[in-house]
Amino acid sequence: MYRIRFHGRGGQGMKTASRILGSAFFLEGFDVQDAPRYGAERRGAPIFAYVRASRQAINERGVIHHPDLVVVADDSLVPVPAAAVLQGLDAHTVTLINSHTSAADWQQRLNLAGPVLILPATEEAEDRAELPFVGTTCAAAAARLVGVISRDALAEAIRTELGALGSQLVEKNTEAALQAYDLMEPHAGTVTEGKAHSASGYARPDWIGMTVEDVDLAAPSIHAAATSVEVKTGLWRTLRPVIDYDRCSRCWWVCSTFCPDSAIAVDADGRPDIDYDHCKGCLICVAKCPPHAIEAIPEHLAQAAEETNA
Amino acid sequence: MNESRFKRMKDLPSTHLLGSGTPMCSGCGGLEALHEIYDILGPKTVFVNAAGCMTLLAVYPFTPFRGSWLYTAMASAPAGAQGIRDALDILIEQQRLPVEEDLEVVVLTGDGAAYGMGLSSTSGAMERDLNFLYICYDNEGYGNTGQQFSGATPHAARTATSKGPHGFAGFKKDLFSIWAAHKPSYVATVIGAEPLDLARKIEKAMQLKGPRLIIALAPCPTGWDYDPRESADIGKLAVSTGVWPLKEYVDGRVVHTKVPKQRQPVEDYLEKQGRFAHLFEPQRNEQLLQELQNSIDSYWAEIEH
Repeated sequence: MYRIRFHGRGGQGMKTASRILGSAFFLEGFDVQDAPRYGAERRGAPIFAYVRASRQAINERGVIHHPDLVVVADDSLVPVPAAAVLQGLDAHTVTLINSHTSAADWQQRLNLAGPVLILPATEEAEDRAELPFVGTTCAAAAARLVGVISRDALAEAIRTELGALGSQLVEKNTEAALQAYDLMEPHAGTVTEGKAHSASGYARPDWIGMTVEDVDLAAPSIHAAATSVEVKTGLWRTLRPVIDYDRCSRCWWVCSTFCPDSAIAVDADGRPDIDYDHCKGCLICVAKCPPHAIEAIPEHLAQAAEETNA
Repeated sequence: MNESRFKRMKDLPSTHLLGSGTPMCSGCGGLEALHEIYDILGPKTVFVNAAGCMTLLAVYPFTPFRGSWLYTAMASAPAGAQGIRDALDILIEQQRLPVEEDLEVVVLTGDGAAYGMGLSSTSGAMERDLNFLYICYDNEGYGNTGQQFSGATPHAARTATSKGPHGFAGFKKDLFSIWAAHKPSYVATVIGAEPLDLARKIEKAMQLKGPRLIIALAPCPTGWDYDPRESADIGKLAVSTGVWPLKEYVDGRVVHTKVPKQRQPVEDYLEKQGRFAHLFEPQRNEQLLQELQNSIDSYWAEIEH
């Protein structure tokens, strides 16, 4: 059985990726499960989707804990604990990362036992209008890596899953997908089916005994205000708004008023300051700034620049 | 009524009460409106939240609010507000709560609850002349579950449950009029993209007692299918094309607070949103576009005469 997990952010088309790959497997005669999994978080937040495909009936259910292939659509998710990208990886697992960074770098950084492959991140992916294509290219790359899905089955799956979006989008997606499919040609078949997990061989985990705390300790009533600031939603950001203070006209705090996340504070002199721990990168401030003093920079470049300056 | 303290943009708050770090989508138009509204309401508020996107604002142990928050089922937020209002009144009467520590009870629901499931309990609360504030963030569909159509979905929009070349076959319910027909103290429409108009209306609502109800159109990048950076611009277009009339009902009269002088064609608003893409591609649906324009024109023809 193939077990494949897609990791991305809400809005990057991971659910669609799992559906496309699932449909493609199905067209090749496989039994298939595909499902997205996300919590209460939204667009920009880490989500994952998974696909199981087998020539036999699939009796496994639920989240994939030991994937044969992990596809990471957005490399900024790798260090985010909540994304759990690295969960359950072993020497058998192939990791495919959509990234500007090389495979060797990732291999070393993450100390992975299994092979790492790179799906080169295109500059277009920094234009968010192109983001939905990330999902399709990821699905296509995965389809080639398993080595049992034909070009035709992939194209047919894309038509089936995206047909409702109109022929133009289907065409554009198919083109991007087939490119990714061909790009993975040298690695076709790298991903192989994992062992069947048998219920009879189930080993109980090493449970840790937890004493039951009193309710006031276990579920304290919280009287503090605005505790949501403890949640660093800045991790959602793929584009970073940066203020050019020479051009900022210290207006009536347009950016701060329109920012849905209260992530722009203005001091007594009218100087705005963006709170990058919480800015989700929606870029409403970039769109609304009257003197166009706010620029959007890809987050990975902004972070690289920060490291250089530090 | 006192003159507004919000005369110009500079009078708008430059510091904000609503905490950051909420799980709302990046670019959420509803959150934009709520954060502007909360600055005017102030911290002496208690929120009663019906199930919907904003339920997720206060997921234990995190909350962006400065005070308490109560979660109710979709249909019953106004009933929850009644309970809190009664409790506060009793505490004050028994002198267990000083009058100056009284709280404003604020219902917060999406359009699914406001236009549909919760309409009867809202009607009941108005009937009982409950002293509360109702804020509906209207993203024109059941956004929390994937944007299925609701009573607020506009004609021709694509939703998860209205696909095909014509989109949603029904029409957006006129909740403003339904609410105003109950003759409550105050009803208003607002939008985050017009913060000054919004601030004046919330300020006015705060000066009144009894049922006061606000509908905030909430541009929704996820459900309406557009880049999050366009949330405020699409909100502005909703007003300048006449799709979202800014108005208030007070003292038995409806007053339009911002009449667009030269209304932009509704197309300018529609073409920015993926949920209306089928009106333009693969070919323009002239008939449906004209129908949509006509319905807006006929609304304003009645207002302007």
